[in-house]
Amino acid sequence: METPVTPPAMGFAEKLMSVKRHTLYLLLIVATSVPTFFSITLPNKPDQPSIDFFTTVMALPEGSTILIETDWTKSTRGDSMGQMQALLRILMRHNIKFAIYSTADPAAPQVARDTIGRVSEERRAKGERPYVRWEDWVDLGYFPNSEATNNAIATNIRKAFAGKTEVPGVGQPATDVFRSPVLSHIQKVGDMPLLLVVTASKTFDIIVERLYGKVPLAAMVTGVMGPESTVYYASGQMVGLCVGLKGALDIERMMESGVNNPPDKPVVVNKKNPEVVPGFPGDDNEGNGKAYYPTLHLALTLMILAVIIGNIGMVLTRKGAKS
Amino acid sequence: MNGFFAQVIPPSPFNAPNGSAELWTRLVIALLLGVAAVVALMKAPVSVRKPVVAVSTFCAGLYWVVFFLWPRPVNRLPGDMPSGLVDGVGFWLEDANPIVGNLSNVLSAFLLGLGIYSLLRIHGMRVIKGHKDAFFSAVLLLGILAMGVFGYWDWLDKMSPTGPSLALEANWAFQNRVRDFLFDGLLQEMDAGMFSLIAFYILSAAYRAFRIRSIEATLLLATAFIVMLSFMGLVTGLLDGVIDGIKGTADPGFLDNFKLTEIAKWLRATVETPSLRGIDFGIGIGALAMGLRLWLSLEKTAVSS
Repeated sequence: METPVTPPAMGFAEKLMSVKRHTLYLLLIVATSVPTFFSITLPNKPDQPSIDFFTTVMALPEGSTILIETDWTKSTRGDSMGQMQALLRILMRHNIKFAIYSTADPAAPQVARDTIGRVSEERRAKGERPYVRWEDWVDLGYFPNSEATNNAIATNIRKAFAGKTEVPGVGQPATDVFRSPVLSHIQKVGDMPLLLVVTASKTFDIIVERLYGKVPLAAMVTGVMGPESTVYYASGQMVGLCVGLKGALDIERMMESGVNNPPDKPVVVNKKNPEVVPGFPGDDNEGNGKAYYPTLHLALTLMILAVIIGNIGMVLTRKGAKS
Repeated sequence: MNGFFAQVIPPSPFNAPNGSAELWTRLVIALLLGVAAVVALMKAPVSVRKPVVAVSTFCAGLYWVVFFLWPRPVNRLPGDMPSGLVDGVGFWLEDANPIVGNLSNVLSAFLLGLGIYSLLRIHGMRVIKGHKDAFFSAVLLLGILAMGVFGYWDWLDKMSPTGPSLALEANWAFQNRVRDFLFDGLLQEMDAGMFSLIAFYILSAAYRAFRIRSIEATLLLATAFIVMLSFMGLVTGLLDGVIDGIKGTADPGFLDNFKLTEIAKWLRATVETPSLRGIDFGIGIGALAMGLRLWLSLEKTAVSS
């Protein structure tokens, strides 16, 4: 009877190259769970695109109306929800009205409505005025064809959203959104000081293609879409850009510290513009950005370590083979 | 010409007051006619279908081509009248744009309907035939039904005269709570759960595949490390702090160029952005070529099979 051949024991280098998949998964679970149990504050220096985004939003005239294309769902809540929360907090603190619409995902309007509701509830809980639908914001709905919709907005915003209704108050019938305080003074998209897209997909491309030059554009995109959207920021077609989880944290930090503020010893410096932009120090500025940033740190650290370990193993194996 | 479309005021033969029985009747008739036209087209021989599809595609595309190329009215104000043929066509194209846009949205919405129909057909057949995975198909169908019923019920509630009171959770009725549970509690959480699984695959794939087997791979790895590290505030704070410590108060100094954030910024602005711009141009040209082929019905597989 033939004796079974036992494979030779793996050397150190080979062990480094063959860490089991499940071990990696377990390490990832452990690493990303740590911030759930401990509150960790990490240093962060806001990027210039985030600074431009923040200063643009902070400079919006009080009482004005902006258009927000919201194209994200909870699949990207790690990035998008923190961005949207921070944005809504700024808009509501500055009494800026907004109209939302979606073109990427049929679930996106409901996710946006829920987020608006939560941020408004935060205000109610603090004794501040909650944001009221019809008076402060309206929902224009979901449009499955992004190209055609944004083209129509560029040509004639009133016709693009014709027939959309909201209920002004209890006991009142659904009424044309263009009779609401949010949109009644809007004749063309250029009457708005900003069109903002919060997206997890390539809809910012279409926004730039169809609406650049008609209205200033800014975007909040996921980390994955960051490189592609940077093209439009670099070309000047977007006045501000908030990318990924770090972008959300950037905005939260600037909400606390402001920009070029205090002028003698600023925490965040805007290299493009020396104007002082005060934030909201002491207010509830922290959100998902701060909560999830340590998780991103740990996940990236683990990935970098895994790649380094794999490569060390490969190099040692090659050296062993040569010798 | 624009008067033929439903969105035009005053009402045309193609529209009716919002929510009226007349509108619903017209909608049903239009839907039936549309379905009949599609069925007729499907049953027709290729020799008949092909020119019909080709002409329809060409006419649909022609509007957008002309809209893009024709001179547009500048600083047009409400009540302005066109002065000549060029101006007149420009006015017409501009007025028709939101209407054509709505038409495009309706057509795109039918694609969603087509997706739902496909799901219902495939999974319905599985349930009827007692397929080994019929249970999962039944759950899917039940999910679609429940979400549709409670979603629509909730929407009707919110668009009713008492709708604004539902901004407060305390005023929610049964249907609003079920909609919230189904959408926010289940669908969206599962959506997030599914997406988060990608992190596991990325980690595993990076560990196994990201090896410095060539100069190109080494460059790619070094670049990826710099960009990843630049997202980590703790690391950038430490490394940039070292540079600040060396250079002292000189502002801005040559050594600033060696800060991690500056290197990452340089990589993004000088390497990544131009590369992506080049790719975008390539995609644009490809899309233009494919668009032309589709518009002129040179892409035969779409209609011949």
